[in-house]
This record gives sequence, structure tokens and C-alpha cells, in this order.
Amino acid sequence: MIFPFTAIVGQEEMKIALILNVIDPSIGGVLILGEKGTAKSTAVRALAELLPEMEVVKDCPFNCDPDGFLCNTCRERLKREGHFDREKKKMKVVELPLGVTEDRLVGTLDIEHALKKGEKRFEPGILASANRNFLYVDEVNLLEDHIVDLLLDSAAMGVNTVEREGVSFTHPSKFILVGTMNPEEGDLRPQLLDRFGLCVQVTSIQDKALRIEILKRRADFDSNPQGFLKAWENEQKALSQKIMSAKERLNSINITTDILEKIVDITSLLSLDGHRADIVIMKSARALSALRGKTSIDPEDIKDAAQLAIRHRLKRLPFEEIGRENEKVKSVLLGIG
Amino acid sequence: MITFSDFVGHEEAKLALILNAIDIHCGGVVFIGEKGSGKSTLARLFKDLIPEDTPFIELPLNLTEDRLLGSIDIEKTIKFNQRIFQPGILSKANGGVIYIDDINLLPLETATLVFEAQERGEILIEREGFTLRQPVRFIVIASMNPEEGNISSHLLDRFGMGVIWQGLKDKLQRIEVIKKVAFGGLQPNIPSKYSDLRLKEKISLARLCLENIVIPSAIKEYISQLCLAKNISGHRGDIYLTYAARAYAAYCEHNEVSKEHVDKVAPLVLTHRQRMLQEMEQKEDSHKSPYKNLPGNQEREQNNPDSGEDSKSGAGAVQEKTHKTEENDGGDGHHHWVESNPKEEIFEIGTTFKIKRMVFKKDRLDRNVSGRRTKTRVKDRGGKYIKSKFKRNNDIAIDATIRACAPFQSLRGRKDRLLIYEEDLRFKQRQRKMSHLVIFVVDGSGSMAAQKRMIETKGAILSLLMDCYQKRDQVSLIVFRKEKAELVLPPTRSIEFSLKKLKDMPVGGKTPLSSGLLEAYKLIKRVARKSPETRFILLLITDGRANQTILEMPVWEEIERVVGLFNDLPFTDFIVIDTENKKGYMKTGLALKIALLLRASYYTVENIKSEFITELVQIHRKENFKDQVYWRGG
Repeated sequence: MIFPFTAIVGQEEMKIALILNVIDPSIGGVLILGEKGTAKSTAVRALAELLPEMEVVKDCPFNCDPDGFLCNTCRERLKREGHFDREKKKMKVVELPLGVTEDRLVGTLDIEHALKKGEKRFEPGILASANRNFLYVDEVNLLEDHIVDLLLDSAAMGVNTVEREGVSFTHPSKFILVGTMNPEEGDLRPQLLDRFGLCVQVTSIQDKALRIEILKRRADFDSNPQGFLKAWENEQKALSQKIMSAKERLNSINITTDILEKIVDITSLLSLDGHRADIVIMKSARALSALRGKTSIDPEDIKDAAQLAIRHRLKRLPFEEIGRENEKVKSVLLGIG
Repeated sequence: MITFSDFVGHEEAKLALILNAIDIHCGGVVFIGEKGSGKSTLARLFKDLIPEDTPFIELPLNLTEDRLLGSIDIEKTIKFNQRIFQPGILSKANGGVIYIDDINLLPLETATLVFEAQERGEILIEREGFTLRQPVRFIVIASMNPEEGNISSHLLDRFGMGVIWQGLKDKLQRIEVIKKVAFGGLQPNIPSKYSDLRLKEKISLARLCLENIVIPSAIKEYISQLCLAKNISGHRGDIYLTYAARAYAAYCEHNEVSKEHVDKVAPLVLTHRQRMLQEMEQKEDSHKSPYKNLPGNQEREQNNPDSGEDSKSGAGAVQEKTHKTEENDGGDGHHHWVESNPKEEIFEIGTTFKIKRMVFKKDRLDRNVSGRRTKTRVKDRGGKYIKSKFKRNNDIAIDATIRACAPFQSLRGRKDRLLIYEEDLRFKQRQRKMSHLVIFVVDGSGSMAAQKRMIETKGAILSLLMDCYQKRDQVSLIVFRKEKAELVLPPTRSIEFSLKKLKDMPVGGKTPLSSGLLEAYKLIKRVARKSPETRFILLLITDGRANQTILEMPVWEEIERVVGLFNDLPFTDFIVIDTENKKGYMKTGLALKIALLLRASYYTVENIKSEFITELVQIHRKENFKDQVYWRGG
């Protein structure tokens, strides 16, 4: 039984950031900054639960999209049999453990099969099960460097190409990357921070009334989960529909040059490197506008999107914790129409 | 999808790709520049310029050696009972392109194998009972972000062309980029598809004319003169420049290479080579310095005026407001315990810069720590599996083991399961970079305050800290001033504090140098007992004017004694950074004297600055960074 997403109290920034990634997965994931016990993984799991099932190729270990890019196996199957069956699956949250090894992450030679049969076969890794799911990395800053490199490489390409230990295999690996980190425990290299589309900060809620509400809901859910889910059913359905309709309308959202100019104003005032910030702000603003039921991006969408997209991209003095640049950002955003 | 013609700006990089598409002899190209600026996107669009059947192979980061070069095909070998070879991806790339994203993150071994094959024009395979030679020809296109570490100049030299990639700053261009991304996926972009097609035709036409283009001997001479004038060593510069100029002439539909053609492509071919040269000169320089530059002989500093120096110190001057500590602003009496101090000041942090790469020898101890400075073999199962070996450990390379046993299966009478014998066993060799504890031993005495040397020194320390941070080192800070040394910052990896400690570091009083060294010695002993696998770097930052002892004995005798203690610390490297103003008259060369005692690498604040390519790319970044320091400093 999973606690309903809509019943999670507060943490609006995190919830929105996750939803925007579902609407447009090319935004590139979320980095969540904050202490333990702030409902980070609960929120991700709850969001996956809320979403409708998706269509996949039946029995494919990579959850191939029947109408999208296919893995080697599915491609061969299609060639051989001319078609494949489809099935419906729910989106999952795949976790990446800290001690993960390179071969477990990208996949490798199926050793058992090789020993028993003397045949080569690819044993899928975590990047395979993550395809079209959430990939949740707790404390991403504590992962070994070369693992993070591999992870972000596939995240960027949406494809995992394996050329190791005698096997050669390619499969789609499109996932929504959710990383968490506690900045006090050390930082990520700026180059890696930049690869995360959005970044939000969560803090434990200080408001007394809200804290009581959290406890109350949790207690209600624990004592009678069925009843609790029932009570939240309408809200859940409504949000799910809202997300799915935003997903559909995404490409019809109008973007004027005027709006793009505002985006570039923000990023150049903050002297951000590269184009990722520009692109991510545009994409998140577009998704936000779709979620809000609008037909074109307006300055409000830009401001809200920028809040999520620039925090981790600001230039900082080395070792300065991220998330402390709010004043500068606020003043820049205030200046935007 | 975005097409090649859609790509906004970066005309130099596009030209480099076009020339390589025309002539494979152009030797590939490396894009060097900041993150998220489209290097990889453009490189991948190279596919649009070459004929459809030309291979374009992207090297995945997870690559192992057997897949790169090829290895025994276990399945077929077992099935047909004879050794059958499975070609690697280098063979797949034959006649085409290998693309390496983030080449500086690829293990050096892998990169070397790629370039070796390219240089020879063949793949040599000598493994698992195969002796094979396979002719190959391919070009390498690569990208790298120098902030994540450099590649060796030898590797860089292999590239025909290099493009220093500057981020687009023009507002209209940036808007154009977002537009392309926003609308690129929506409708098939007919006009740009069409212009891509026309470009492709132009390229294949140029390819056909290539052989007929005349290179006048005057032009050949001009090319070698150009390379000589730019101090390009070796012949690669001349050769690649000739090919590039010829390809460009063909592209312009001319029959003869002219001076203009050469001038147009010269920056593409020569820029990255010039940079390398400078780096090499500097390496030689710093190599000599501890031994040949004895005290009083500072010619080198004068011979080596740093052209970038003025602008840098100029920026430092912006922040040259010194904050006096409280004791100067009121004689309230409760400060009298510091009265013995003539003057105590806290200086701002000067501008930062990239640090030269300090290379440490590989050692043979198996360790299991992570970090990025020295590569070391690792004991546990973390780290990158590079290749298999015979030498036993507890980490079996099952793939290599299976490959080793495959040819003997029917001989051994296999029925069902594979039969693996003792002699088939292979083991994994992994590599991971190990981290160091870098101990900053900083002179905080009054002499350091002279002429605001401390501002620049703090800038240098901060730069070193940044370097440590990038390399995942632990740092620790010891300051010696007044009566004795103090451990200001115990070893830590989360180094947010160090900045604050550095900012607040007061300067003033005597120079208890021996106490500083002793404190470092004790720290190393302590840490080494707890984690014997740590390597240490002791960074002594001082002008060397020691004048305070721990015991009652002559200053230099005590220093020599403390230095003697370090003899039994095997894994410690010493670096001395001399903060003495080498332009002033009062040169003592005392820091150099200590460096010689410690057998340390010796640098001056000025010459630890790295002048490698990073500089070029970062000039702009630094500009921003200065602003940053400025508006934060307030």
C-alpha cells in the first residue's frame, strides 16, 4: 500500500518538480537537497503509483515502448516474428544502491548462462530496469565518480550501449533521474550538477498545525489504508488526469520570442554557463503552462520554472553550499516582466 | 531532430567537421570547452555530413579492452571447437569515425589503444591465442571539458584539429538555440534538411576534387614557416595543416591551395599544439628549479614575465581592502593580551587560478580508497575493471576465464557445463584514483603581511584548495604564527569550512616555522596510524623567514631536526610554495633552502599558475568568477 501523492503535506516545490518531469521527461530529472525524513522517496513512489499504466512490449526486460526505440532483442523479435504482444505496466521506482558496481549498473555477460551453456547472453543491469521508470539515487554525492559518469551519460542519451566483457548490446534507457543529497556531506562536481534538470530544496516543516496534520494523515493511513485511499481517490484521479492531459498538450503550447528573451535575460544576468539552463527553463515553463491549463507560456511560468532550474547552476565560490544564493536569484526574477 | 545546418554559431567547429568529412587525412578534431554548450550535440551531427554507410561509432564509457580490440568468441569457439575471433569496435569503425565524449574521463589505457591503432593504421591483436593484424583507418572526434581534468599533451597532439569552444554569449543566438530545441522535435524541418543535403553534396564534390588540387611549393614553404614561427614541435603540425588547407581549398572549389586557405585553417590545426608547447616548457622549468635555482639566483622569475599577470593582480586589487582586527580600533584595555603583537591583520582572498597538475608516482601498494589524484590499484571490488591478468586475487574476471577455457571444451570432454580448470582462471585488474590528505602548513607571521603578499597568497591557497576539491582530496590546515603552530582545520573532506577559516586567518607576529612542521608531522603520524593507506602531501606556504623556536636552540638547527623526523614517513610528498616577493630587493631565498632540506617540489606563488589550455577556456569564466567574488565579498 502506498501513501497517496495528493495526501502529502507541503513540499510543493519537490512535488511540482517531479510532476514536470513526468510531463516532459526530457527536462532531465530532479536533484533533491535536504535532510533525511522529508518524504523524498515517499513522494517519488507515490507519484509513480498515481500515474496510469503504460504500454510495453510483453516480456521485454527493458520495458521497451512498442512504438519507440527498441532494444536488440525486441528488434530481432520484430524482424523474426513480424509483431509482438503488448502489455500494460505500472511505472516503478528503481533504486540505485550506493555500492553498485559498474557491471551491475550497465549490465554484463550472463555468467550462469555462459557457464552452463557456453553461450553469450546479455544480463541486463539497473539501467535496463530503469527504462521508462524513475531511477532513484539516494545520496548521489556519495556514489563513486565513474559510476556517476556512466549514470549521467545514459541519462543524457536515453540509450545504454554496452561494450564490455565480450558482450555488445544496446537498449533504451530513458528514465527520470531523482537524486538526493545532503550538501553537508560533500558536493557533486558542478559538471554533474548541471546534468540534473531541476533542483529543489526540502526542509522539514516547521509549522505546528501542518506537522499535526502530517501525523494525523499518517495515522489514518496506517490504521485503515483502504479507507484512506478511498477518501483520496477523487483527488488522485483528478491529478492524474491533469498530468496526462498536460502531457498531451505539451507540444501545442505557444512560445513567443518575447518569452524566450526573458529566459535568456535571466540566465545572462546570472551569467550561467552553456545552454542547459536556457533549455531546461523553457521546457519546464512549457510543462508548467500545460499543467496549469494555459495555451501559452507566460512570465509567471518562466519565473516558477527558473526557480527550479537555476539553483544548482549558479556560480558559487568553491565549497560554498548550494542553495544559499536566493537573494540574487530573487532580485533577478523580480526584474522579469 | 536538430540538423547540422540548424546548429547555431560555432562556425570554426563546424568548419573543422566539414574538413574532416572531406578528407579523412585531416586527423580528427577535439572540442575543448565548458559544460552544456553543445559540443557533443554538434559532434554527433557529424553523422549528417558523411555518407550513410560510413560507420560512426561512439565509445561507451563502460568499454573493456576485449571489446575495444576484439577477443575470442566464446559461443562460436565452443560450438565449432576452434578458436573464433569476435572483432572489437575498433574494427567496426574501419573507414569511419570514432566519437569519444568526455575523452578526459576515459581510462588512459583505452585512449592510448585507440590512438595506437590509428597511428599504425592497423589493429594488432596478441591475446587469447590469437595473433592478428587488421588494417584499419578511422578518425577520432572527441569532446572534453577541461574543468574535469586534462588529457596528456601526447594524446592531444594526435588530433589533427582542436577547437577551443566558447559558449555563445550573443542574446539572439541563445534565443535561436532554445527555439531550435523547442520546435526541433515538432515538425520535420524541411529547409534545414535541404541545406544539410546541399552541404553533403558539396562535401562529396570536394572529396572527388581532392586529389587534383595543386599545392604550390611556395605554399608548402609558407606552412612550415608558419609552424616554425609558432614554435610547433614535431611534424604533425605541418602535415595536418597541409591536409586541412587542401580540404579547405577543395571546399571553396579552388584548384590550388593559396595562402588564404592556409590562414583560414591554421588556427584549427595549431592552437592546441601551441598550448601544449607552453605546458611542456613550463614543466621543464619547474623541473629544474629546485636544483638549479639556488638562493639569490632568481633570474628565472625575471625571464619569465607572466603576461596575464597584470590583469590578474589588477583584479586582486579590487578587493584589496584589508580589514583590521578589533585591537586597532580602540584601546579598551581588554585587548592587552595581544599587545605583544605589533600588528595583526586579516587579508582578503586574492584571485584564484588553475593549478598546474602535480603528478605523483604510482605506488605498488594495493589500496581501497577513492579520489582522483593518483591512480592506484585497488584491493576491493570498486573501481574500473580495466583488464584481466594472471596474477591471483579474490576478484575473478569470469569473462576472461571463460574465454580462456573456451577453446579446450571438447578436448576436455565437455557434455553440459563448461569445464574450467585452475589454469583458466583470470583476475580483474581494477583502477581507481586514490585520494590524499593535503596538509596546508601556512605561515601567518608578520612578514607575510608585507606589501599585501597575503592577498595573493590566500588566492593561491584557495586555488590549491579548489584543486584538492576537484580531486577529492581531504584537506587540513595548520597555521603557524606568534608563539606556535595551530591545527586550524582537522582533516576533512567536506571543505566548506576551509574557505571560512582561510577568510578569517589573521596574520601577524613571529614565525615559528619548526613548530608548523612539527604539528604537521604529528598529524601525519596520527592519521597514518588510523588509515595506513593514505598518502600525504605537505604543502608548506611561507617566505621562509623563521625566527621562533620551540626549544632554546638556533632556528635553523631546530628546523633541520624537525625535517629529520620526516625521514620515516614513507608516503609523504612535500611542496614548498615561496611567498617571497621575487620582484622586490629583499630576497632571501630561505623558502628554497627549506625546500632543499625537505627535498620538496618548489614553486613560487607566481609559477604554480597553470598556463595550459584550461586558461584559454577559462579566461572568460574567470571574468565571471571575479564578479562573483566581488559581489559576494561585500
